[in-house]
Order: sequence, then structure tokens, then C-alpha cells
Amino acid sequence: MDSDLRTPGVMAGTGGAGHPVLEMTGIRKTFGPVVALDGVDFAVGASEVHGLIGGNGAGKTTLMNVLYGLYKPDGGTVRLGGREIVVRNPRDAINHGIGMVHQNFLQVDSYTVAENIVLGTPQPSFPALNLREAEAKIADLAERFGLKVEPRIPVQYLSVGIRQRVEILKALYRGARILVLDEPTTNLTPQEVDSLFGSLRAIVDEGMSVVFITHKIRETMAVCDELTIMRDGLRVATLHRRDTTTRDLAMLMVGDEETAERVAAVIGAESTNRGHQVAAGKTQPSEKVAPRLKVSGLNADNDHGVRSVHDLDLGITRGEVLGIAGVAGNGQVELAECLAGVRPLSGGAVEVDGVALAGRLTAQWLAAGVAYVPEDRHRDGILPGASIIQNLILGAQRSARFSKHGLIDWSAARRHAEEAMSAYSVRASGATAAAATLSGGNIQRVILARAFAHRPGFLIFHNPTRGLDIASTQFVYDRVREATADGTSVLLLSEDLDELTHLADRILVLYRGQVVAERQRGAYDQCELGRFMAGIVEES
Amino acid sequence: MTTLTLSPGAVRAGASRVVPYVIAVLFAFLASGVLIAVLGHDPVDAFRAILTSSFKSSFGFVETVQKWVPLVLLALGFTIPLAAGKYNIGGEGQLLVGATAAAGVGIVFANLPMVVLLPAILLAGVVAGALWAGIAAWLMDRFGVSEILSTVLLNFISFGIVDYVASEVWSDPAAGHPTTIPVGDGALLPLIGNPSMHSGVLLAVLVAAGTVIMMRRSVAGFELNAVGANARAAQVHGIRIGRIVVGALVMGGALGGFAGAVEVAGIHGKLIEGMQSNYLLLAIIIGLIARGNTLAVPFVAFGIAVLEVGASAMQRSAGVPSEMVLIVEALILFFLLLSDVVGSRLRRSER
Repeated sequence: MDSDLRTPGVMAGTGGAGHPVLEMTGIRKTFGPVVALDGVDFAVGASEVHGLIGGNGAGKTTLMNVLYGLYKPDGGTVRLGGREIVVRNPRDAINHGIGMVHQNFLQVDSYTVAENIVLGTPQPSFPALNLREAEAKIADLAERFGLKVEPRIPVQYLSVGIRQRVEILKALYRGARILVLDEPTTNLTPQEVDSLFGSLRAIVDEGMSVVFITHKIRETMAVCDELTIMRDGLRVATLHRRDTTTRDLAMLMVGDEETAERVAAVIGAESTNRGHQVAAGKTQPSEKVAPRLKVSGLNADNDHGVRSVHDLDLGITRGEVLGIAGVAGNGQVELAECLAGVRPLSGGAVEVDGVALAGRLTAQWLAAGVAYVPEDRHRDGILPGASIIQNLILGAQRSARFSKHGLIDWSAARRHAEEAMSAYSVRASGATAAAATLSGGNIQRVILARAFAHRPGFLIFHNPTRGLDIASTQFVYDRVREATADGTSVLLLSEDLDELTHLADRILVLYRGQVVAERQRGAYDQCELGRFMAGIVEES
Repeated sequence: MTTLTLSPGAVRAGASRVVPYVIAVLFAFLASGVLIAVLGHDPVDAFRAILTSSFKSSFGFVETVQKWVPLVLLALGFTIPLAAGKYNIGGEGQLLVGATAAAGVGIVFANLPMVVLLPAILLAGVVAGALWAGIAAWLMDRFGVSEILSTVLLNFISFGIVDYVASEVWSDPAAGHPTTIPVGDGALLPLIGNPSMHSGVLLAVLVAAGTVIMMRRSVAGFELNAVGANARAAQVHGIRIGRIVVGALVMGGALGGFAGAVEVAGIHGKLIEGMQSNYLLLAIIIGLIARGNTLAVPFVAFGIAVLEVGASAMQRSAGVPSEMVLIVEALILFFLLLSDVVGSRLRRSER
């Protein structure tokens, strides 16, 4: 699977010249006053992987949800093989041969792979459900498209990558000729991404079409034949992959020269780092300096009382970014929460600037200079119905800045909110806007403003740019660099290896709650990390 | 784009808050008017009696204001824990226990002067109510017992306590109904104003104002609301959820106990079985109509007090059973909740 499948231009039999299989014209969709799609044209040919790229809120997913019958468009037509069709719901879409794999899989955990795939399709069920025929068909599909799965295993025991294969097989089993994948590479290791791209290639080689929604430029360059770039609900351009460069794409996506340069630089640096080792660039003399954060023998249990982090030792010096790589569910959440003082330690010690914090209250961790930017922004980060002002003082409500004699000084809080909103470019109708009404990027800016407001000595970021557009991602990166320049120690837990490569001075790979590898900046390649993340090799 | 839509958006937000109330009240009166007509009475007469009897005579006004006191206190006692996401359905138990403690102190120390006795019985009521709710709070915090169940069940225990105290301990045999002997004169709230009403009204106004300030301006109120808005996020940011919800329930109980003490010291002068009336039900309706907004609670409570006082006038003048008022109140809440459903359907259909 690891063969040279990432250069599709050579073997792509693009049907771009002929009649497009799918043609969407003038699609318009509004949500109240917001125009999500403003007359978008989109066409996909046979045997092509068509990348649909753009930042958050560009309208990519909305466009595909219209195609899949989840949203009713306000205007525009959809043609399939030259004939106009109306898709009212996903069932219509399936009947027309359109399949979609969403970011969140809808699977029954306790059902087997085969049961999940056939669920909702007619099956011989007298005198008992007989899946033999279905299993044979699944095996055939899996073989043809390199989507190896074991049909009789309940899906709850499978990794994210395999569950995604199940989802793709589900669409193919139902006869999809056009397969839409929404951000399919989130949560996959580099190896799994390569394998997925190989399967997509096999699928289009049989004459089908794939629409690949993503905001990652590098992936589009790796797998797509055609590219449609969207921004602010408009189609900006449609290009052949061969005729474009990462820089051009970044420019089209963000529409701002300066940001595009920087984005392209990150991707460029990345591609040289990928595939072969690069001599160590900036190395941190971490042994010499006493660490600001010192963790020894940390044990942590998950919500069900199962040990998830085992005897972990780590230290972070002043101004250092320590990256934690790993596939989700290998103890990252527990580690982050323990070090934020949110989850009680099941053993071990944590010191920040010489202050022992194990067993203390969360508020004392905050007071010691620990700040936490959680992975799940909506669940752990904000009070959805409360205003931006209220959200910004959360955690600091007892500080002298915002309270006197047990009463909150709302005018000071408002001033603070207005300053923070301009410093962090939070776009909202005003400081009193409810946090839940903000976009993901703006919510993250509010959370960052709050985390940085009390000049933290130790900052924990967990997947800080997940779901953010390019501008917000760059903003987060800039803030991380500013913080480290001020001497803050940063722990960055991320499933995005590009992000870790870009920011981290040192990377630890976490597998089943243990550190299985440690690498200095520049002294690794991502595929090597991927093998550690998948638990294939272990360092002694 | 966002700045352009700001002002009409704000206007719409304001309107969308008031309009459902107006519609709900109109529909409730319309629907119950039909019901009254079907029962063979004149709806116009009935509604005139309901809506005017509080304002036609000073007696009606005093009765309305004095009825407002337990309603607003119990409704706040329901609303404060609600802000933290907890349901205090034990208002009547807390009121009765508070009234029992107040009456007990007022009877045992009947000869003390007012400066000592009056504060003592009010305090006794507050403490008893707080402790009573504290049982439920402790069970919730320690063992995870649902506060809804425990507060409701504690109500039944309180009925037993009142029955025992009023018919065994300080029973007044002449009353013919489980009632205690009167408290000392020093335990009675003095009358104030013209037309004169018991001074517990003033205390209730102060307590309501204090509650509003506590909920909107204080650090404690902020933390309470944060827990209700998103307990996880509150916890991540150093707020101790357990303390907050226990504190909220205890405070709700204290308000209930205070209501009981005021009823003893201002209205009855003794403990009477059944004095809790249907205040708990009304308080929950008030809290829900106010949608948990403590600033709205006193006003909604006044509206409900007007309806309650009007009910008996309606029965006298129009012959409509006074229970009809409960139907009106229920319909207001019903239509208000229906407006949420309709609103979200409308928003969804725009998709």
C-alpha cells in the first residue's frame, strides 16, 4: 500500500475533458442572514479524485450536504450523467449512487463490521438473518479497493482508520458511484493516510468518482486530480493539480498574500522533512537548564477507572515546546487533564516552578500559572449561553482584577473583554454576544485570550487548531511562539504531525499511556513517528 | 457583515423574548374563556373579577401583597438551585419545617421581648429550612441521590412533623384542626404602611433584591451560573461544582424556611396543618415562567398572586369555580413552553 500512489498525475485517467458525471450549478444556500453558498458551480468527472478545499466556513461541507440531501438548497440544479435530479434526503442520494462518509461515523458499536455495512439494506432474514452473501460481497469490495477488514469483528474493537474503511465500504456496498469524504484524514496516522489514498486511487480506477473535502493543502496535492477551491461560500477556482503549486493554492484559499507565503513555507519545510531525516536544526540544550515543569511517575486513570497513563516522567524547560504525538485514545486526554489539575492524579508528582501541585485544587493549579486549552472547546472550554465577557473572566472571577468585596466588577470585565477581543481579533457582534454564537475559530481565540490573560508559566494545548481555518491556525501558532519567547513552557498534544513538526522542539510519542519514543526537532521523519504511534516498533 | 446585522438582530432578540409571553398570556385567557363559557358562565365577568379584585379595595391589595411574599420566596428558592442545574422540589417541606421551628421558638420563648424574639424566630426558620434542604444536598453530594427525589420525599416527612407538633406537642385542642397554640406577642411581625400589611413584605422585598444582586453581580452568583451553563468548563476553570450545588440547594432551603417563618410571624401567629397551601406548585410555575431569571421572578410572582386573590372573587361574583385560575396559570406556562417548540420548528424549517 505504501507504493508510489501519491503521484496520481502520472496514471490518472481524468475524465475532466469529457462530460462531467456530476454537475452542480448555481447552488445557493442561506441560513437566516448568513449566505453559506452563493451560487456555487461544481463539476466532477468520471475516474477522478476531486479535492474540495477551503478554510473553515468556506462552504465545502455545506455544498456536499446539499448534494447528499441533508440540506435543501435555496436555488440551483444538480445534474447526474446529464439528467437533472432532485435529492430530498440521503436515501434519494444513495439511490442515485451518491455516498458520503462524514467526520463522525454513525456506527453501532456492538454490531460486527458486516452488520454495520448491511444495516438498512434488505437482507434475507427468514428463518434467520443470513449475511453470508453480504459478507462475500464485502470481501470482494475490500479486496478490489484495498480496504482490508475482518467482517465478523464488532466495530468497537477497531481503530479509527479501520472504522473509516467500514464507512467507505458501507457507501460502496450501497452502490455509490460518487463517494464524498468529509475531512477523512483527521485522526489517521501517516501510514493510514497513505493506505486510504491508495484505496481512493483504486476506486477511481474503476470509473467511479471521489470528492475529497479537506483544508490540508498537502493532502490535496498528494491525491487529487482536480481541485476546487472555495472561500466564503464562493467557488474561487477549479484547477488541475498538475498546473498548480502549494503556494498558489494557499493564496487562493486565504486570499491574502502574506498569510499565504507563511502557510506555503510551513508546508514546504514539512515536505523536505518528510521521507528522509534532516540534520538537527534548532536543538534545545534541555539537559543543562532546570525544567519549569517536572512530572515524575505520573499515573492517571480514565473515567472508567482504567489506568491510562503509566509511570510517566517528563520535564519542560523555559520556553520549550514539548510535543506529544499519538493516535487519539492513547492517554492524551488523561495526561492533559492531570497536568491541568482537572483530573486527580492516581500517583506521581507534578511541580511547576518548584511548587508541588499533586492533590491540590484546580484553582490552585491555575494560581500556580498553569493554563489549559482543552481539546473539546465546546465541552470543556466555554459557557455556551454566557457572554464573551463572562467567558473571559471564567477562572479569574475571584482575582482582584475583576472582583471587589465578593462582587464582580462588570465594567472592568467589559473593558478587559473589549481589549482582549481587539488584541485577539475576535469577530462577534459585541462583547455581550453569547459564546455559542461564535464560530470555532473565534471561540478558540476567546479561550486563548483567557489562557494568556494571567501570564501562564506552563501552557497545555490539546489539538489547538483542530477544525480551525488557516488564518486562525496561524494565529494560534503565533501565540505559541510569543508565549515561548516570554519563557512559558508549552506542552502540545496533537494528532496533527505537521503541527508538531512545525512547533515542537522535542516530541514524545505516546502509545497506550507510555512514552515509546523521544525525538529532537529535525531528528526524525513522520513515517518513523507513525510507526511508533501505531505501536509497530518500540524503542528499548 | 456581523456589524451590519447587529442592531436589527438586537431588536429581534429583545422582541423574541417579550412576544412569547404576551402571546402565551393571551392564548391562556382565550382558551380558559372558552372553557368558562362552555361551563355556562360569563367569561368577561369572570376575568373582570380575577383581574380587578386586587386593586378595587385596600383589603384585596393587602391580601395580594401578603400572598406574594411566600410565592416570591419559594420561587426564588426554586430558581437559585435551578441556575446551577438542580431542581429543588422541596419548597413546601422547607416552608413547613421553617414554620415549625419558628412556631416552636415563638411558643417556648413566648415571654421574650420582640427585639429578641422576632429575629430569633425568623432565624430559626431560615436555619431549619437550610438544614432540611441540606439533607437532600448531602445525599446528592455524598451518594449521588437525585435531589428531585429526595426533596420531594422530604416534603412528606415534613407533613408528618407538622402533624405531630400541631396535634401532640403544642396542640391547641380548641381549634378542631391540627393547630398549635399561638406564639408570643413578641414573635409577631409589626404592621406597616397604609393600608397596613405585615412588615414581612418589606423583608421579602429586601431578600428578593439581595438575591438578584447575588445572582447577577456577585462572584458566588457567577460561579453558580457557570456551573449551570457548563459544569465541565466550570470545573476545568477551578470552580468546585460540589460546593456550588450544595450551597445553592441549602440557600434555596433557607428561603423556603424564611417563607415559613414569615407566614407564622405575619399571617397565622401559629403553626397550622395545611398552611403550605399550593405554594410549591405555584412557585415552580413562577420559576419556569420567569425562565429562571431572578429579576423576573418577583414580577411574575405578583401576577400569579393577583390571579390567586382574584380566584375567590371570581367564584363569588361569576360563580366560576376558583380552580379555574389554576387552569389559567397552567395554560400560561403551557403556551410559553409551546412557543419554544414552535420557535425551534420555525428555525429548523429554514434549513
